[in-house]
Amino acid sequence: MFGPGWKWARGRGTKQLPIVVCAVVALGTAVLGRAHAPIFDTARAAISDWTAPALDTLRGPLTSIQGWAAGFGGIFTTYSDNAELRRENAELHKWQQVALSLEDRLRGYQQLLNAVPDEKTPFITARVIGESSRPFVKTLILNAGSVQGVDKGQAVVDERGLLGRIYVTGEKTSWVILLTDLNSRVPVVVEPSHRRAILVGDNTPAPQLELDVGEGPIRPGDRVISTGDGGLLPPDVPIGVVTGTGTAARVVLFATSSTADAVNILDYRVPNPPTAPEPVAAASASSRLAVGSTAPPVPAIAPVAPDTRDIPEELDR
Amino acid sequence: MTDRSPLLFLLFAGPVRLAGRLIPVLIALALVVVANLPISFTGGLLPAPVLALAAIYFWALARPALMPPYAVLVIGLAEDLVSGGPPGLWATGFLAGYVLIDRQRKNLGELNGPGNLVAFTGVMLISAITAYVLASAIYMRLLPLPPLLLEGIVTVALYPLLERPLDWADRSITRFLRSG
Repeated sequence: MFGPGWKWARGRGTKQLPIVVCAVVALGTAVLGRAHAPIFDTARAAISDWTAPALDTLRGPLTSIQGWAAGFGGIFTTYSDNAELRRENAELHKWQQVALSLEDRLRGYQQLLNAVPDEKTPFITARVIGESSRPFVKTLILNAGSVQGVDKGQAVVDERGLLGRIYVTGEKTSWVILLTDLNSRVPVVVEPSHRRAILVGDNTPAPQLELDVGEGPIRPGDRVISTGDGGLLPPDVPIGVVTGTGTAARVVLFATSSTADAVNILDYRVPNPPTAPEPVAAASASSRLAVGSTAPPVPAIAPVAPDTRDIPEELDR
Repeated sequence: MTDRSPLLFLLFAGPVRLAGRLIPVLIALALVVVANLPISFTGGLLPAPVLALAAIYFWALARPALMPPYAVLVIGLAEDLVSGGPPGLWATGFLAGYVLIDRQRKNLGELNGPGNLVAFTGVMLISAITAYVLASAIYMRLLPLPPLLLEGIVTVALYPLLERPLDWADRSITRFLRSG
């Protein structure tokens, strides 16, 4: 096919100018998109807001067809599935009793210690109206936006675990960057070693686990949960289990986008650190400082240094 | 045309001709929308194809005047915007494929059947490689290749199905422009 007649045609002076100009514009857009992503994100949010009703209408019947098609394949394995489910059910009954007993004991200890109960994270429930699975991006589109209180950075979970985070919000829709996406980096904890790590998406179904500080063995089958470090995500949200070891460690996720339908968007806020009553002198000094100061405001989760002002010298060691 | 009223011609013929000339670009943009409908017909098993490249390839060969580089740029930017990926990625990829078509127009135009499919595969490959290199530069790391390869395979597999409707649209445009 590609015989000696095939030659690379040479550029013909000014006739090639449009291609060169277009290539420069395209490359410039790539650079601009990297530097000022919000310009394009706003346009995307506007498009998804505009098309949301149509997507919502389209997705309903299609999800039903997908469910039906998936169910059809299961007809032939019904007997073995049933036997497996009975076995699992019996085992889970046993674990349920253990969990209930441990829950009672934990409640008792918390009362004894007068422990502060965990705060409930408020959430917004939304439906998935779209999914984009391209080589360079993995996203979901939800039918809730800034009008419903959705904000950039909020965690998105379903009944199985963490799916991703909100990265674009329109008025009525929002886009979720999935844990598998190239841009996703989430701080996590591996249990039971409590080793900190970063979960890095690379567009494969199982994201990489980049081990961070600390020591402790990581074994296949270890649970991975979110950490509240950095105030990005609520702590203890289930994410997945480890597969592989060392630098090849990856995480098989509990929640996958292909089966996600109704999701919760967690409105997690880092709890304010408790404020101790300040001595009058110190308080007036700090207020004087605040009036004339141009220093930046203290972040909400600033590390709190031990206050040693009122400790007698002989005790301050 | 000469027997018609010059006023009517000025009022309608110009816009009608322009609309006719825009049809290839509009079809390519429609394919961008269809390919990027955020709904997976395979339950997420296969990636969405780059259908717009089929329209670009077809008209860049058949009627280069109706698929100029500016149109390819607009189609590529639309693909980037709707797919949610980094902007400029497919715009650059499509233009790279367009350069190959532009340089080999004489040879590619003579192909048909399997030869044409092989040529489209080459254009898809050039576009995908360009997008891959640019994406790796943007993210500052080497990205996994299999998802992109799979997307290319799905696109090439769908090209024969698209070729006939595109050919029909092309003949309709010809009739439309001649009648105008």
